[in-house]
Amino acid sequence: MAETATGAQLQAAAPSGARARAGGGRPGPVPGPLAAPVIVARSVTAGYENRRKKTRLIALRDVSLEIRRGEFLAIVGPSGCGKSTFINMVAGFVKPLEGTVEVDGQPVRGTGADRAMVFQDYALLPWRTVERNVLFAMENRRDKPSKSEQSARVAEALSLVGLTGFEKSYPHELSGGMRQRVGIARALVTKPDILLMDEPFGAVDAMTREAMQAEFERIIAQTRQTVVFITHSIDEAVMLGDRVAVISSRPGTIKEVVEVDLPRPRLTGDAKSSPRFTELREHIWSLLQDEALGAKEAE
Amino acid sequence: MTTTASAAATTTEPAGRPTGGSKVIEDLQVSRFAPFRNAAITVVNLGVFFVIWELVARAGLLNPLFFPRISDTFQAMYDGFRDGTIAPQLGHSLSNLLIGLLISAAIGIPVGLFMGASRTADLILSPYVWAMTSLPRVALIPLLILILGFGNEMQLTIIVLSAVFPIMVNCMAGVKTVDPSLLRAGRVFGAGRLQTYSKIILPFTLPFVISGINQGIARGLVGMLIGELLGGGGSGLGFLLDRAGDQFDAPMLYATLLILAVMSVALVQLMRWLERRVAPWRDLPA
Repeated sequence: MAETATGAQLQAAAPSGARARAGGGRPGPVPGPLAAPVIVARSVTAGYENRRKKTRLIALRDVSLEIRRGEFLAIVGPSGCGKSTFINMVAGFVKPLEGTVEVDGQPVRGTGADRAMVFQDYALLPWRTVERNVLFAMENRRDKPSKSEQSARVAEALSLVGLTGFEKSYPHELSGGMRQRVGIARALVTKPDILLMDEPFGAVDAMTREAMQAEFERIIAQTRQTVVFITHSIDEAVMLGDRVAVISSRPGTIKEVVEVDLPRPRLTGDAKSSPRFTELREHIWSLLQDEALGAKEAE
Repeated sequence: MTTTASAAATTTEPAGRPTGGSKVIEDLQVSRFAPFRNAAITVVNLGVFFVIWELVARAGLLNPLFFPRISDTFQAMYDGFRDGTIAPQLGHSLSNLLIGLLISAAIGIPVGLFMGASRTADLILSPYVWAMTSLPRVALIPLLILILGFGNEMQLTIIVLSAVFPIMVNCMAGVKTVDPSLLRAGRVFGAGRLQTYSKIILPFTLPFVISGINQGIARGLVGMLIGELLGGGGSGLGFLLDRAGDQFDAPMLYATLLILAVMSVALVQLMRWLERRVAPWRDLPA
């Protein structure tokens, strides 16, 4: 159901579809009560200061959002609407100018091992093999596991994303889709609570993109992380998200948080041909239509 | 989408290696001599060039004082190596160049890295670095002779002054152009300051260091020659050139130029090879 945003405060509805995902549940620490919010943004205003021009560009204004544990939240909006700024705040790269962002009840102060990120441009180290790129996520930690445990985890992560056999390849030898699999494996290898994804499939071709979405849905059904997924594709947001936060641009504010009540698995099923999918898609499009036309020049 | 997710993993993406099913890389039948083809072409190419040179010179169209036969040039080179006029000078030049490059790298690399990493250092040092990078090296010769005289110190100094700044500037550029998303990845995955430097910034800068040294070689060669030609130290290939010119010894002049050409090409090729070796992901042309 589509719930309408009342003012700035957006209270999360009951997590109806949140955990109704397919795939064998991973045994292990499925964290906390489902309804507990793990990421909380309270009237956040964020932007960038330009000291030379003595101005500040407001990317997000008065945004409040709660993301529940184990939820897949997709954030959709036109380019330049500040959706990346939001994820960068959760990651700990950017501090809000006003308001607070909390993860697990603690204000975010820099990056942390509980949050991993998948980048649009992959951000792999080109001089490292696939294997050692994935290892990078573990080796810097003070509490890193033993060497043998590390390689076991790397192998596990690579098999999860279907890259077994490519351990010794270099990123430049791989296709875009495969590079992003490495990026995903690197983010998953430490089993972080929260997975931040900044337009992860934005740079891969359309066919690969659809395959990657399907695989990602399968992977997340297994690993059960909390996912914040930025995209500018409405289809992608609806196909993947438990909820979709629709952000308008300049400055970015949340227009609405749409509950996606489609059964999972969606990518491997026929969710895309269901009338409900079309309905949700149309609804989000109607919210963004003016924005998209306005933002076209900016692209 | 009608395929299943797991099938999609193996079917939708072209890969450089077989993942199980059909082979992607197949063997190609290539002649055993294929690797030598380019070398053979070069040999033939140079052979033809020298033959034409010889014929033009023999035809007497040009004054032999400016344009000796290639056979005389090679004869002069052969004699020069036999009677010991060339080898010591070549050794002098080469060792000066190498020592100069080592000193330049030892100074240029750390200073360049430091300038790339510290905005303050960059702000303070860059006017001098850019002035020295742009200043034609010849302009320094009178001053250097004044300070250091005609000895080897002056020749070495001019090589270092020529080579150190391109190395410095390249190292700085390398650090400054580190892909910001790699740095962000470093932060996300817990790399501290030291790890960011050793695992991201330095490997990223390595190819820049190599191309800096490459430019340093080119500039250093010029520095070496002007030091030897104008410094009047009585040693080095530049001195050979100078003396051959004074004595109207065209074959010797050409022989020395040929040696210089071979030396420069060899050094530059060595560095290009190294550049490809250290950074295969940059996909530099062979």
